[in-house]
Amino acid sequence: MGGTKRHILSFCLFCLCYGLILGPFVNYMHNKPYAEKLGVLPTIATLKFLSADQKLLIGSSLVMRVITYFGGLAEMAKNKIEIPPDFPVMSRTIHAAVKLDPYNNDAYYFAQSFLVWDVGQIDIANSLLIEGMRYRTWDWYLPYFVGFNYAYFKHDFKSAAYYYQKAAELSGQELHINLAGRFMQESGQIDHAISYLTLMAKDASNPVAKKTFETRLTAFKQVSLIEKARDRFTLKYNRLPESVDELVRTGLLDKTPSDPYGGTFFLLPDGKVGTSSKFAFKNPKGNRPDSGATP
Amino acid sequence: MLNHFEITFKSIIRDRIFHGIIFSALIFLLIPSVATLSMRQATELSMTLSLSLISFILLLLSLFLGGTHLWRDIERRYTYPVLSWPSSRSAYLVGKFSGIAAFIFLVALLLGGVAVLTVLITAGIYPPERPIVWNLFFLSIFFDACKYILIVAFAFLFSSVATSFFLPVFGSICIYFVGNASQQVHDYINAPATIGISSITKNMATFVYYILPNFSAFDFKINAVYRVPIQVSGVLMTGVYFVVYLCMVISVATLLFEKREMN
Amino acid sequence: MKALEIHNLVKIFKTKKGQSVHALNDLSFDVMQGEVFGFLGPNGAGKSTTIKTLVGLITPSSGNALINGVPVSTGTARLKVGYLPENPAFYDYLTPEEYLTYVARSFLVPVAEVPRCIEQTLKLLELWDARKRQMRSFSKGMVQRVGLAQVLVHDPDIYILDEPMSGLDPLGRSLVKNIILELKNRGKTVFFSTHITDDVEKVCDRVGIIVKGSLVAVNNVENLLKGGVEGYLVSLQSADSTLQNLAPFSVLRQSGTIFEYYIPKDGFNRFMELVIRSGSEVVLVETRRKNLEDYFLSLVK
Repeated sequence: MGGTKRHILSFCLFCLCYGLILGPFVNYMHNKPYAEKLGVLPTIATLKFLSADQKLLIGSSLVMRVITYFGGLAEMAKNKIEIPPDFPVMSRTIHAAVKLDPYNNDAYYFAQSFLVWDVGQIDIANSLLIEGMRYRTWDWYLPYFVGFNYAYFKHDFKSAAYYYQKAAELSGQELHINLAGRFMQESGQIDHAISYLTLMAKDASNPVAKKTFETRLTAFKQVSLIEKARDRFTLKYNRLPESVDELVRTGLLDKTPSDPYGGTFFLLPDGKVGTSSKFAFKNPKGNRPDSGATP
Repeated sequence: MLNHFEITFKSIIRDRIFHGIIFSALIFLLIPSVATLSMRQATELSMTLSLSLISFILLLLSLFLGGTHLWRDIERRYTYPVLSWPSSRSAYLVGKFSGIAAFIFLVALLLGGVAVLTVLITAGIYPPERPIVWNLFFLSIFFDACKYILIVAFAFLFSSVATSFFLPVFGSICIYFVGNASQQVHDYINAPATIGISSITKNMATFVYYILPNFSAFDFKINAVYRVPIQVSGVLMTGVYFVVYLCMVISVATLLFEKREMN
Repeated sequence: MKALEIHNLVKIFKTKKGQSVHALNDLSFDVMQGEVFGFLGPNGAGKSTTIKTLVGLITPSSGNALINGVPVSTGTARLKVGYLPENPAFYDYLTPEEYLTYVARSFLVPVAEVPRCIEQTLKLLELWDARKRQMRSFSKGMVQRVGLAQVLVHDPDIYILDEPMSGLDPLGRSLVKNIILELKNRGKTVFFSTHITDDVEKVCDRVGIIVKGSLVAVNNVENLLKGGVEGYLVSLQSADSTLQNLAPFSVLRQSGTIFEYYIPKDGFNRFMELVIRSGSEVVLVETRRKNLEDYFLSLVK
């Protein structure tokens, strides 16, 4: 039948056109700015109403969106493409997700992994986590996170000890009491962070989060190496080393440690270890309350 | 073809379910008062709500018109006399489809007009910080309508082979969800941070991504609400994509419909 | 000149269980221009399948069909064809007037002539008063008349009607028969299917009989009927005693003093001799003609 042939022909023609535009189109969609993709959210009350009986689904999808968005940014940063992440939107989205599904562990987990390190919003993260503790009453991670944030970022050791105690009660392990105890001496900050990050990285099931933790862990391990070398240097020469290079020259370090964030390590006049990358792939202005040069 | 177009138009206007759907446009009356609930962006909220309501009504229309129209003609045997006429089956299908498409555009235009009034009322009570860009607002509605026309095309594709309304209606609902998610899933799978996915799965996913419709491209709501400018190339790209993809779906539908046995 | 040609038509349907059903087996016949052709067959014989193939609703598995020499797969072949489906249904949200406009335009009737054609047709089918009512309120008989209207409105040359008399009351049936006869007088070709032999006898020139997808006979209706008288039914009034005289013939039925006999054509003269001799009174003589129904039944069985 002639008609059929004509139809097949026109179909093929359209497929060809589609093939032609597909490349540019996929490219266009790929480069559509991320800020647009994370999108805006209605107020939480509206969102709750609109989600009807699918609050859990919507909550999870919000978290997924943030994770994908953040993962994409990390990738771009690696490729030297600078797109400032929209932390306020991310934070809002996570908040909304938690309101829709207060049990959503992903949300807390992700909040803890970027709110505190990258945004420096310790108070926001803690209030989120403490709120979550009301729901996830069995979960020792949330108090553990809170305790860590109090101790490490805010140097509020009393609160830290309180939450570590809660975590210990829930987990039934002495680990957290030990942690708290070790940390109380206010020595070995970096080791404390390393043990925290090791735990986080080990349990991370989401590849983006895992990668975030592992990168930071690698960086901190390097810092720890430098600190140990510095301490040995001080013992040996009875003064602080002037630079990381000096430690290498004196054979206390095998080689100059490399910063996985792409920066270079240096020693501050008081002997603390800093890095030019400030432990971030990029440093969005105004999002960080303190310098963050040292861990 | 024009003939089929006209009859389709008439049939939609006389349809009771359509009257019901249009009735839901009364919700527009509520928008100005709901928008006042927002403390800092009443105008933005009223725009978001208006655009969402338009989307919702268009979605219902596209599912209902696309999913039942062709199928009902076949089911009730209206097609027996009509398809025995000299005009070809593809003329019938394309005529019917363009009737529905034109109708969706018309409804989008009308609702767009109502939405403008709604937003103006809200903006009159709570003047926005930045001026509203109406071009973006209408562009967003236009592409929204395009998206739903694509869903109608899929419903026609399913109707051209279906023997019950399940495939056209639920098939197009699936297409709606899949089309909205395809870009997100693609981004997720291809984010290098995503490990543990074999390259075969990745390639297959990419292939599926190339075939499935991509409705994220049609979403300009944010641009409309927050006046984020759109590049002309982006508009053109989306427009070309719409036309080509639509032609492709409709040509498969006509091909299948030509071959269909009318028993 | 041939209006319809059907060559070696085969149609095999696949059922959902994967079995093949042969709906048409190598069907071939022609319908001449100006002829009324009755397509007779029991239910499920393949009448509708043949007709749907002719109007392009289904594609034959093999073989082909031509309308005025043009293959049916071409849409333009149907430009001069009016088709009435079996138990038709039309867009019930339209009025007859709107629907007929739709039909007339699709058949490329000149715009200026459309209102006149519609008026004429609606009046012929007594639908004029209902022309502005949506068809959803129509009775079955009215819908059937709309069906005929949409066939007639564009004044085609060939009429393909699938069971045009089904579902009609006696009044409607006679209306349809009259329309067919009138079309015949105007030199149009009518091809219609039915399972009622009486319809064929009244209006057809020729009849084709289809059984299980095969054409078992094509015959001239006049020839079939011309076989003429086969015998007589004779009713006599007489006393029992006189019947002995009629002994070679047996009584078919008896009610009171009335006796009914069936006498084959060649025995009639002899029977009448005996009747006269017996002194019985002839009450009624009915001729028995050869019947299309008998012929049809003999072919089907």
